[in-house]
Amino acid sequence: MQALLVFLAIAALSLLASSPALDPARFPALARLAAGGFLFLLFGVVLGPSVVGVLSVEDLYLLRPMMALGLGTAGVILGLNLEPRLLRLLPRPVYSAALAHAGTAFLFVAVPLFVPLLLTSRPSWHAAVGAASLLGAAASLSSGHFAVLAYRGGRMDRARGLGVALLTMLDDAVGLVVLALALLLGAAPTAGEGLGLVCLAVLLGILCGSLLAFLTHALKDPAELATVTLGMVALVGGAAAYLRVSALLAGVACGATLALVGGRTTERVARALGRVERPVFLVLVFLVGCGVYTRDWAAWALVPGFVGLRFLGKVVGGTLAQRFARGVLELPPRVGYALIAQGGLALCLVAEYQLLVPGGLSRRVLDVVVVGAVVNELLAGQAFRQVTTPSARVQPVPPPDVGVVT
Amino acid sequence: MKGAVVRLLLLMGLLAIISRAQVLRADSGTPVTLAAGALLLCGLFAGKVAKGLGLPRLTGYLLVGVAVGPYMLGFIPGEGVKGLDLVKGLAVSLIALVAGTELRLGLIRRVGARVALLCAAVCGVTFIVCFAATVALKPLLPFLAPLTLPQVLAVSALLSTVVVSFSPTVTIAIVQETSARGSFTEFLMALVIIGDLFVMVAFALAAGLTRATFGGGLDVAGLLSGVGWELFGSVVVGGVLAVVMLVYMRGVKQELPLFLVGLSFAAAEGGTRLHLSPLLVSLAAGALIANLDEREGERIHHAIQRAGLPVFALFFAAAGAGLKLDALVTVGPAALLLVVLRGGAIWFSCRRFAPADDPRLKNYLWMGLISQAGVTFGLAALVSRTFPSFGPQVEVLIVAMITAHELVGPVLTRRALTASGEVRTDEAQGTA
Repeated sequence: MQALLVFLAIAALSLLASSPALDPARFPALARLAAGGFLFLLFGVVLGPSVVGVLSVEDLYLLRPMMALGLGTAGVILGLNLEPRLLRLLPRPVYSAALAHAGTAFLFVAVPLFVPLLLTSRPSWHAAVGAASLLGAAASLSSGHFAVLAYRGGRMDRARGLGVALLTMLDDAVGLVVLALALLLGAAPTAGEGLGLVCLAVLLGILCGSLLAFLTHALKDPAELATVTLGMVALVGGAAAYLRVSALLAGVACGATLALVGGRTTERVARALGRVERPVFLVLVFLVGCGVYTRDWAAWALVPGFVGLRFLGKVVGGTLAQRFARGVLELPPRVGYALIAQGGLALCLVAEYQLLVPGGLSRRVLDVVVVGAVVNELLAGQAFRQVTTPSARVQPVPPPDVGVVT
Repeated sequence: MKGAVVRLLLLMGLLAIISRAQVLRADSGTPVTLAAGALLLCGLFAGKVAKGLGLPRLTGYLLVGVAVGPYMLGFIPGEGVKGLDLVKGLAVSLIALVAGTELRLGLIRRVGARVALLCAAVCGVTFIVCFAATVALKPLLPFLAPLTLPQVLAVSALLSTVVVSFSPTVTIAIVQETSARGSFTEFLMALVIIGDLFVMVAFALAAGLTRATFGGGLDVAGLLSGVGWELFGSVVVGGVLAVVMLVYMRGVKQELPLFLVGLSFAAAEGGTRLHLSPLLVSLAAGALIANLDEREGERIHHAIQRAGLPVFALFFAAAGAGLKLDALVTVGPAALLLVVLRGGAIWFSCRRFAPADDPRLKNYLWMGLISQAGVTFGLAALVSRTFPSFGPQVEVLIVAMITAHELVGPVLTRRALTASGEVRTDEAQGTA
């Protein structure tokens, strides 16, 4: 019944999101939230146990298989986007630039917020370090969809738009590494055991990715290919959830392995997965929204700090990135303003952290990042105008096709 | 086929590794998504292997489910299989929707009366034989031993009603797999569907009688309203669904498979909550659409065929994984005897009462009536829930019978269709 409720809620919201009531010309902010999936996040918050209570805490527990599927799918799609050949071709300054903007935002958020996290809930040092790191990791992530839309709509030079998109793609790695470190510290009683669990997740993903490449190698029927792809995504996410290791990391390892060894199959698998990406992502963000505990005042108090420090970190980090990438990667002036949108991966990170490191602190991290992500998405539209200038108007390029995960 | 065998073995190897790794963990998480992925993948490749061996794909799905399920190799925990009940309901609804689109008014006029008569004869003979056998087996069946004679008669009637039931799910899946078309296939499908309607009514009556013999009183009005709600309520809700589908198909011309899956999901889950028959709801919806707008009926048929492969593979593999093999050991002999008697009764009644104008009905129809699956499972679970004193033991006996019927039934159904000469191809795109 819970699943039915979720599906009906998502269906109703999908209809609402596609209705003329959300005309971008009349309600630009609302339309932007709907397009990015954040409206579903808010809908989840409202229907969740701490507001209206249509879905109870027990219901959310029973819906964990869907959460595992969503995280596994997000991970595999992320992994598939890691093209090894492209990554090898990138010069070192590009990595330095990505690390600069992501690392600056990470430090700007994680270090100052560590203190209130430690003081407000009196947890262990380990837990506070893990929670602050996760906040920092979520802050370090950016979404490139504004840049992609801008260059496709002719409001930004293509090379600059791609430059921003590349930076945002590379910062995903920072988020994932920090998640791995936070799980290493928090998901098991000892760091050694935590390391073992992270390695188990990666190993599981590599095994599943290799097997997926082999299983799909000779498949010609599109229906069979789609079935095998969906089955393997469910298997990798499900096995990770069953073993209580990170479904997201296992999915990334699976997708990256397939991208490495899959050859031409990779593209077909990505296409098959692309068909379910949007619905799975929407269900996932809806469930993440349901997990928000709105009565945690300490979390609300942290939100302005999170958003403000992240903004500052992105602006400073953007300046540093521009300096590192000079002559190698073309970036727009004031690039930090183009990196304000946070994207869905931040939500995946904190959802995964809450699943594997239960407790008040991980829930607080989730609350802060969810509210922060919505605010950042609203701020991003205004901030991005600082990057696009009328003189930058160039030839438009065909239809927008925005990925929703990163 | 060799490639499919290698792939299946590799998948099972991976599952073995995962289940070994789980042993190292003190606590485990939810296994439902793992069960879904594993059964879907194993089912797909086992179906290919079965086809290579000349068996229905469906048999491959079932057997691999049994193999990797909790009662044999144990790669998939029982909790995971149980969590897939939602998918099972979805599959039954989708299959019934396709079956409904086959029920044209012309067909019902042409064969309706003959099918109903034969169905009554088959169900009646089978019921009498199983009822007599169950009463005679009283000393061997522990749950009957402490009961009084009226109670024994009532429980035997209840058990026999469930034992009579057929499997529209398996029949329709095999018809889809083989793309069989013709008068024999129509007759078989109509018979299993009408047979299940008979069983639904008979079950409600038998359950009411059983409750009365155990001191619950005979509430005739409640009994009739319950049956009426289940039958007519399902048809009305099915009609509403049909209208919704037609509006969608005429207004929105995209994403039909996704929409149908969503609606079937709602029909399955909502129908169960409202004490309706999800099978009948979807059947009525499909039939109404096919008769109101033939073109849209065809669209539904094709759309479900496209979404059918994963749903069927998962449904039947999960059904296989849920088969309690240990039940075979405890009540095996009694179950086996009832299986043989049921088969014999079906064979005899088909030979004796099938219309003489088509000799294929007399010779092969019985083979298509042996399968049992979803409906029988559902009724057995209902007996267990409604009568906690003896119900769980009855359920074990019925599940043991289903196990045998699930393994033999699909093979026999395909053989019947092949022998009738109505099988068009062995490789219908994207089906079971």
